[in-house]
Amino acid sequence: MPEIKVTPLGAGQDVGRSCILVSIAGKNVMLDCGMHMGYNDDRRFPDFSYITQNGRLTDFLDCVIISHFHLDHCGALPYFSEMVGYDGPIYMTHPTKAICPILLEDYRKITVDKKGETNFFTSQMIKDCMKKVVAVHLHQTVQVDEELEIKAYYAGHVLGAAMFQIKVGCESVVYTGDYNMTPDRHLGAAWIDKCRPDLLISESTYATTIRDSKRCRERDFLKKVHETVERGGKVLIPVFALGRAQELCILLETFWERMNLKAPIYFSTGLTEKANHYYKLFITWTNQKIRKTFVQRNMFEFKHIKAFDRAFADNPGPMVVFATPGMLHAGQSLQIFRKWAGNEKNMVIMPGYCVQGTVGHKILSGQRKLEMEGRQILEVKMQVEYMSFSAHADAKGIMQLIRQAEPRNVLLVHGEAKKMEFLKQKIEQEFHVSCYMPANGETTTIFTNPSIPVDISLGLLKREAAIGPAPDAKKPKLMHGTLLMKDNSFRLVSPEQALKELGLAEHQLRFTCRVHIQDPRKEHETVLRVYNHLKGVLKDYSVQHLPDGSITVESILIQATAHSEDQGTKVLLVSWTYQDEELGSYLTSLLKKGLPQSTS
Amino acid sequence: YRDLHTFELQAPTRVIEWARGSRVCVAGYGQSGGNEILQLLPPPALQAKETQGLCPERDFKVEGGGFSKRPVYSLKYVPDTSLLVTSGPPDSSLQVWQVSAEDSDVIKSVSTIATENATGQTWAKIATTSARGPWVLHGSTLDSVQITEVELRKNVYTAGSPDGEELAGLAFLDGSTAVLCCARGRLCVADVRQPQGALQALPAPAAPRGDRWCLGTACAAQGSGPGTQPVARLSSRGLLTLTDLRKASEPSASATAKVPSPGSGAEFLCVSWAPALQGCLAVSGFDGTVHVYDTQSWDSSGREAEPIFVHKGHALDGSGDPALVTVHTWHPQKPRTVLSAASDGSLHVWDWVQP
Repeated sequence: MPEIKVTPLGAGQDVGRSCILVSIAGKNVMLDCGMHMGYNDDRRFPDFSYITQNGRLTDFLDCVIISHFHLDHCGALPYFSEMVGYDGPIYMTHPTKAICPILLEDYRKITVDKKGETNFFTSQMIKDCMKKVVAVHLHQTVQVDEELEIKAYYAGHVLGAAMFQIKVGCESVVYTGDYNMTPDRHLGAAWIDKCRPDLLISESTYATTIRDSKRCRERDFLKKVHETVERGGKVLIPVFALGRAQELCILLETFWERMNLKAPIYFSTGLTEKANHYYKLFITWTNQKIRKTFVQRNMFEFKHIKAFDRAFADNPGPMVVFATPGMLHAGQSLQIFRKWAGNEKNMVIMPGYCVQGTVGHKILSGQRKLEMEGRQILEVKMQVEYMSFSAHADAKGIMQLIRQAEPRNVLLVHGEAKKMEFLKQKIEQEFHVSCYMPANGETTTIFTNPSIPVDISLGLLKREAAIGPAPDAKKPKLMHGTLLMKDNSFRLVSPEQALKELGLAEHQLRFTCRVHIQDPRKEHETVLRVYNHLKGVLKDYSVQHLPDGSITVESILIQATAHSEDQGTKVLLVSWTYQDEELGSYLTSLLKKGLPQSTS
Repeated sequence: YRDLHTFELQAPTRVIEWARGSRVCVAGYGQSGGNEILQLLPPPALQAKETQGLCPERDFKVEGGGFSKRPVYSLKYVPDTSLLVTSGPPDSSLQVWQVSAEDSDVIKSVSTIATENATGQTWAKIATTSARGPWVLHGSTLDSVQITEVELRKNVYTAGSPDGEELAGLAFLDGSTAVLCCARGRLCVADVRQPQGALQALPAPAAPRGDRWCLGTACAAQGSGPGTQPVARLSSRGLLTLTDLRKASEPSASATAKVPSPGSGAEFLCVSWAPALQGCLAVSGFDGTVHVYDTQSWDSSGREAEPIFVHKGHALDGSGDPALVTVHTWHPQKPRTVLSAASDGSLHVWDWVQP
């Protein structure tokens, strides 16, 4: 049976890095190539030796697909393509292609410069890796080769995140990456059509949670910012250039307007330029509301939000500043942090995950004394808050997506098996599909039932139609024909036509059987006896006595001869063709029973 | 408010029960089967004593779930075991479930406690007490009240009453006494130490015949004596009566809650005492609000009382039909935290400030 094989090299049953190998109809595709953020050694990379022990990855893999720019989905890509070795195509959406190298470079800097690692990819490797990337648009069918095609769907979650459909012939797999089914302030909700894939691979990180409403989170965020500003403190919000930052800006702007607040809000200029540039390119990726604001005015021409200048950090009084980079590991956000850390009236709000080794990570884990360059100790008295607006699908969202796509099987990654038993049962009960939850390194095989189209010759069809009643869905009709398979086409034709096309002569099969009968009379008398006997028994068949002394029953020939050695025994030669097999064997057994005594 | 968290369940629930370790259980009551029983772990902020602001973990975690073909109208954990029991139409039997074993998060159906089928669409009300381990007090009518020892599946007590009046609620007052509340308002007290016992009936409060009532008792705090709070009864018109069963059979105080009239049916009437605030109780089931009252100033006049706090969250959220609050419950440790659920699937956790 044709099968689809899925092996998670990372994800499977832990959250950390996503890297899934899919084998479909002879094609091998790698989905995502993530880095595990928790480990510092080789465990952070997926185990690529699993793919192929010897032999080059480029030969084995047909393509690599990256769903979005988060490091746990693309962090190991340069290592994979430049250090392990892969030269084939890498597919991702345009925003992902633009943003990935920035994040990878950031990550590389932290790991190598700050932590002093040596076995890591270089800046040049990142650049070389990105040269192998082919960017795709949403809903655009991309032919990877003659048989393999892929298509990206909108996934929400972050800018540029996509779900991918991988199709070979009539077998298909949909990989969701990380997605979100509820729209937020700057991104829409994931959407897919009723593509009915054989398999849907979905993440289930948040499947077992019931999320707090966004309004509550936002309300709490605004409350914290307000309290700090009211008592004269400064709020630092380290952000990555694109995505959440815009959402928070809109949130603050509306709040400031409503509460008539006077404290200034600043946005880092370097950020603004880059962000603007990217936003112009990727405006189709954000949701309606942002698009409208962008059309009406420049994204960063807010009434209350101004461009930031380094000197402002020293200004007295309350203010709110958005600055990059997001993990406080370098650059402007770190500079501002150093200036403000000593005052307990100030606050820093971390809006997302921070990699180990960064200042962001350290303060979130509770460290309050940090070692800076030149052995300086920085005492952190400012309030440290963490708030995550990251959007993942919960159980309701997963059910929604399955309802939209209508897959025949579901495979869950990114969750713990024990905790997903309930979800597995829920999916199986509601949709009557099988649900799989493989562990890392475990291969799941899914059997598919592809339909193979076969052309039928007109002649054969006409002939069949002439015999008997028309075929009915409830009464299938058995039909005989010859299947010709040439290249990728299948044709059903009559045997005669097949022979003709192939230039073969038809063979005739003939059976002969000898039946011994005790009969001392002359041969022609025996023949007469046989003839009369058969005529009497086989009333529905045409039994004829031919002038040459032989008998025919339909097209079966019976001849009688005397036995060479024994005159009392007659030998009946019964001969029939393959087509008359049934009648032939019946006749033979009949004759073997002997002739009745009295004959006329 | 000091704090407010809103969540949305996939299906509305009419039960919120607390379990060991601050866990909460909810269950669906849809008529067409496929109802889920979910055991949830609240976010750390709601488990801890102090309220934290921007906590990284703000979500409820689904710890385990089970599937029930019946709608779940009542659910109770059985103390000292890893079982819980549910009940719902069409009959008054109880379903027993095993909550998550180590290797799986599925709540499995284990057995059924069958009872003689009462006539009509009644379903069993359930009560348990930590004072008497695996005992479950249940029944749908006065004459079918019994206590079953769940693990051994043995009947331990049967109320000897010929009266087939429908029950609105029942509760343990302590390890030896149970109080039963009929739908028409009458209270009965039973001594459950004997396997068979007569019920001591108390008169119903003066109220129009058509009213339906429900019961609210204080859960006895660990180690304290029999219920120190009086038993509260709530009618579908909003009349609240408090009766101290130790002292007298007459209600000691009564008041009328500020509710829209006429009452919209008695399906979801709910009244409960705050475990950590003396004399404070909450009322819901009339509309999309939950009222909190301070009963210490009440007398026996039955006058209308002012709530000291009203939670309007459920009424404001929805865009379509106004939601009806189906159930509410107090947090066992945090004095002013209340959980409430409504017919639109919303689940709110709110911490109110004393005015």
